[in-house]
Amino acid sequence: MSLRQVKVSPLQAGLVLGFGSALVQAYFKVIPPVAYGVCMVCHPKDLFNWIADHLLHLNWGYSLASTNWPLLTVVGVVLGAMVAAYQHGELHVRSARQPLFFFINGFLMINFGLILGACPIRVVLLSAYGNWLGIIGWVCIVIGVLVGTWTLRWVAARTVARSTLT
Amino acid sequence: MTASIATLVLGFIIGYLGQRSRLCFVSGYRDFILTHDTTLLKGVAGAFIGALGGFIIFGLLGSGIIGFPMIQQTSILTRSALIITIVAGLGVGIVGALSGGCPYRMHVLAAEGKKTYWVYLLGFYAGLIFYNLGTVHFVDMLKTVLK
Repeated sequence: MSLRQVKVSPLQAGLVLGFGSALVQAYFKVIPPVAYGVCMVCHPKDLFNWIADHLLHLNWGYSLASTNWPLLTVVGVVLGAMVAAYQHGELHVRSARQPLFFFINGFLMINFGLILGACPIRVVLLSAYGNWLGIIGWVCIVIGVLVGTWTLRWVAARTVARSTLT
Repeated sequence: MTASIATLVLGFIIGYLGQRSRLCFVSGYRDFILTHDTTLLKGVAGAFIGALGGFIIFGLLGSGIIGFPMIQQTSILTRSALIITIVAGLGVGIVGALSGGCPYRMHVLAAEGKKTYWVYLLGFYAGLIFYNLGTVHFVDMLKTVLK
């Protein structure tokens, strides 16, 4: 069977992600802090701040896990996704929609994420580790998604109602 | 150096799998709320089970799983930590739902060539600079005030 035909379910991908994050903590010194194997806000911050610190001496903080060498998770994710997309004919440059909206969303996401000290992946890892702040953070993210989804639904309903009136 | 290479390899694997499976740690909840579709939510459950299994196995093997399980460590539950976690957690959830995915999914979509998510990542890294210059000091001040 060629690689092109291989299909991966979210459950399988999740299992690999979770187990892999425990593995890199156990054997490859991605610690401290604990449950730090994958984080898509803290690892980009570590990489960015490590480069800023070493090139420009800005003294921006990064975790102890990346004291000597930075964590390259984000580089790996982009490369892996690009290879997968190329291999399956899904790598196409498509034009941007609502650029300001997405720019602001990205801006807010990293700020809230870094204040929390975790991304939606790391709260799951922290919860598996038994960290109370991870569990509370996870619950709050789910409530936040609930509020955000209701907001989107309300905006969509209002738009439909207005368009039928006019 | 080992941590760098390990995270690069793990990142490559989860990036590849994420592109193939559409795994997302925000859309899972959103899809369940909107359509009761549990496909992506199973990915979140999978990550929890995989991590828990890994921590237990590697903990029993005696390698690098320090202080596990942390469930009895309630000393971290200070007033400032709780308030900051709740506010920031809600913020991450709302922004994630509005933008349609978690930062992991956004990086994967940007790697597929969608310029919308390039703009998202531009905001993401501009936000990182803002965090270093302003937010981090504000949070430190908040921690002192809420103590």
